[in-house]
Parts: sequence; structure tokens; C-alpha cells
Amino acid sequence: MFLSHITSLQASIFSSLAILSLLLTFVMLGSHWLRNYVYAFAVQSWLIAILSACVAYFGGFPELYVIAVLTALLRGLVLPYLLIRIVDRLNVKREIHTVLQSSSSMVLGALAVIFAYVIANHINQEMLPAAHIVVLALTVMLSMKLLGFLMLSVRDEAISQILGLLVLENGVFLGSQILVPGMPLLIEIVILFDLLIVVACFGMLVRYLVVHAGTTSSRQLNRLVG
Amino acid sequence: MTLPDIALQVLQVLGVLLLAPLLQGFIQKAEERVQRSRGPSIFQPYRDLWKLFHKECVVPDSASWIYWIAPVIAFTAMLIVPLLIPVLTDRPLPLSNMGDILGGGMVLTLGSFAIILAGLDSGNVYGGIGSSRTAMLGILAEPTLILVLVGISLLAKAMLPFVVNHLLLGSLSVYWSPAHIFLVLAFFVLLLVETDRLPIHSSTHFEIYMIDEARILEYSGPLLALLRWASMMKQFILYTIFCNVFFLPWGLSQLGTPFGQAGAITSLLLKFLLVALLVVIVETTQSRLRFYRYQELLATGFLLAVLAIVSSQLIGGR
Repeated sequence: MFLSHITSLQASIFSSLAILSLLLTFVMLGSHWLRNYVYAFAVQSWLIAILSACVAYFGGFPELYVIAVLTALLRGLVLPYLLIRIVDRLNVKREIHTVLQSSSSMVLGALAVIFAYVIANHINQEMLPAAHIVVLALTVMLSMKLLGFLMLSVRDEAISQILGLLVLENGVFLGSQILVPGMPLLIEIVILFDLLIVVACFGMLVRYLVVHAGTTSSRQLNRLVG
Repeated sequence: MTLPDIALQVLQVLGVLLLAPLLQGFIQKAEERVQRSRGPSIFQPYRDLWKLFHKECVVPDSASWIYWIAPVIAFTAMLIVPLLIPVLTDRPLPLSNMGDILGGGMVLTLGSFAIILAGLDSGNVYGGIGSSRTAMLGILAEPTLILVLVGISLLAKAMLPFVVNHLLLGSLSVYWSPAHIFLVLAFFVLLLVETDRLPIHSSTHFEIYMIDEARILEYSGPLLALLRWASMMKQFILYTIFCNVFFLPWGLSQLGTPFGQAGAITSLLLKFLLVALLVVIVETTQSRLRFYRYQELLATGFLLAVLAIVSSQLIGGR
């Protein structure tokens, strides 16, 4: 495993990229504006692409360069473009009826990070030089998953729910890039294209919602219609 | 030639006392310049203080002894804190072992507590509003302050600001570690909140927006001058902690020669110039938050502090 002989420079590059992506998740959690979510997601995807390229360079996995380029293109450009298009067409600029205020969800998010840290500390089995980066990657991965779930559960707008899913997926991807960088290329490509399909499906679903329910907020959908 | 330690300590306090109005004047001037007006001279706060000290004191009938004692307590508290922190010299001087970081924070809060009492004392409506708003802000800001101080103590494994300064000077890897960067950001949020700056406090002086000024509306003459001076000194002290303990630990006098002290004052002013420009940028680009959205900004600060503590535990081995 390449993490067992990692130098301090590599460790600091990996940890700062991971921490920055975690911070961007909090930007998404705290902001009211849908457009900001999409921008934060795009920047996060670029950071993860840079991370993949770094792992490829330091760890000697040439196929990860392909993954990095594909991540930057698909997650960093195509998905945000599609999402911005949906936001523009829907004419919904901000999340108004949140279940939780953004400040309380930030505090909840902080608790989620602590929880993730405790779990990561238990899971970790590496010795000291690699332990920091393993625990950090696990913490960031688990807390991005928890934050994605949090966004899915406290937000009503359809767009924020897509973004919650995408953040969740970004977290898993980030963790896998650091922890198990030798995943087969084909699987990673399949995951990337799956995401594209998820967003396309959600776009269709949102249009259906607008036409048939007259709203994009999932709050209106809790009534049974016979 | 090195100055005796007592003289160095007196210089620290005098520096805070005499330079605080200059910082206030500079921020006001810079804000006006950004808005394309000329603005007052940067020495205007000195002239204001001079004028206020030569006016007579008008005391409301309903005021009790708290009205008289609060400005003195606030002013004295601000004179005590510079003893405990590295303002010009980067090593502990006489009496600096009176308190650690938390002690300094407590003395700072004591001054603001005295002014809250004074705002309630005279029974004026605006004083009451100002006091209740300040108390609410204090409730929201205090957890972040404590967490930031705990975080920096965990990083340095000591509660003394001097040790933190030496640690950051000594190792660039600690300076650029995520824990430290989060702490700097969290303290910057606190700095904006505690020095009456924009996302929270309004820059226009209408009673309806006032928070800190509303508490001292009843004061006049020399007592008002003391309160104004105390709030400028509080701003200066928080800037000093932000620069010398958190953000820019360079440029302090190590030996204590007169030349070194002059250099330390110059570098302090340069650092404050930088931080004040950052604050001016925030003030120009941000609009004031609604009262019920204050907690969003402060929750961000709280979150950054929590993240700092978590990541300081991750990298704790270094």
C-alpha cells in the first residue's frame, strides 16, 4: 500500500485537499442560494480531480490520470452546467422553507464531523506515519456522507436533493482515491457515467414535478393522491 | 543596550493606550476612501477624545454608582490585558504570569460586562436594548472564543500566548496545518463580531441599529471619553492577539533594545494595516445581517473552531 511510505509533503498536500473539500461541503450546507451549491460542488470536484492526479503522480498509478481528467470534465464541468441549466429554467433561486435553519444545520454538521472522526479512529489499523492520513481520509469521507444525508433530509428543493446525493458520492470517491487507489479503471468510469444518468433522470423528474405538481419542493408531495 | 523588563512592560501598555485611537482613525479613513469620499484625518479620534475630556459631565437623575464605576472598570480591564499578551516583546515580562489566555479573555469580557450593567442602570430604553443585544451576542460568541482558545492551547500544549507565538515562529508546518488555518479563520469571525464591524454591527448611527453604542448613549464628557477609549483599546488588543498570537507572529522584539522596540512598533502598525484592510474589504462587500440571522455567522465561527480541534487531534503527533 503506497500510504505506508508516504512523505510529510505528500501527507500535507492530501490533507489540505481533503479538508478543503470538507469545507466546501459546509459552504453547501450553510448557503441559502441554489447557485452557490452548484459552484461549491464544481470547485469540490476540481479539488478531487487534483487529488486523483496527486495520487497518480506520487503513488505511480498512471490510470488515475485518466480518472482525474474525467472527474474534472464530468463532475467539474458537465454536471454543474446541467444543474445550473435546471436552476435557471426552474426560476427557483433559493431554498426558502428549510426544515432546519442553516446555523443549526452547521452545528449538526460539526457534530457529524466529530462522530465521523471517532468512527475513523476506531476503524484505522495503520501505524503512525500513514495513520494520520488514513484517519483524515476516513473522517472526511464519512463526514461528507453524513453531511450529504443531512442535506437530503433537511432540504426540500429537488435541486438540493440532487446535490445531496452528489456530495455523498463525492465523499465516497474522495475516500477511495486516497485509501484504495488501485481500483479498476472500468469501474470508476462506470460510476462517473452513472452520475451523469442520475442527473439526467433528476432533470426529467423535476420537469415532471413542475408540470404535474406545479412545484419543485418535495414538501408538497407528502399527500396521497388517489 | 537592553531596557529593563519593567520598562518593556510599561511600553507594551503605553503602546496599546496611545496607538489604539490611531487604528480606529485609520479604519474610518480607509472605509471612507473606499467609498470615494475624503474621510476624516486618521488623527481624528485623538481630537475627539481631547474634546470630550474638556466637556462637562451630565449625569441622569436615575443613575446609581454603577454609572460612575463602569467606565473606570472597562478602561482598567483594557489596561490589564496588554500585560498578559505579546504586544511588542515576545517573552513573558513581569506580571505577565497573572493569567493565561483564558484569563485574558475573562478580563476582556469583564470590561464589556461592566458596560452592559451601565446600560441597564440608568433605565433608558435604548440602554436596555443595547444591553440585551450585547448579552445575546455574547452568548453566541463566547462558545466560539472558548473553543478557539482551547484549540490553540491544544496545538501549543500550553495556555500561554507567548508559547503559541514561539511555536508558530519555529515551525512552518504547524503554521500551515489545517488546524491553525481554521483557528485563524474562526478568530477572524470573532474579530469582526467583537470590534463592532459590519455583518453584525451597523456602521450608520441610528438608534434602531445600535448595539454597542446604545449602551453608552447616556454618557457624556470625560466618562464617555473613557468608554470610547476603552472600546478602541479593546479593538487594538483583539487585533494584537489576532496578529501576534494567531495570524502573523513575526516581527516582535526579542532582546528588548530600544531599536528593537521601535522596530516592533513599526511591524505592529504594518500588520494592523494589513488586517484593517481585510476588515475594510469585508465591511464594504457585506451588508448587515438581520438580527435573527446573527447565529449563522457565529455558527460558522463555531464550526471552524470545532474543525480546528478535530484536525489538531489528527495531526497531534507533530
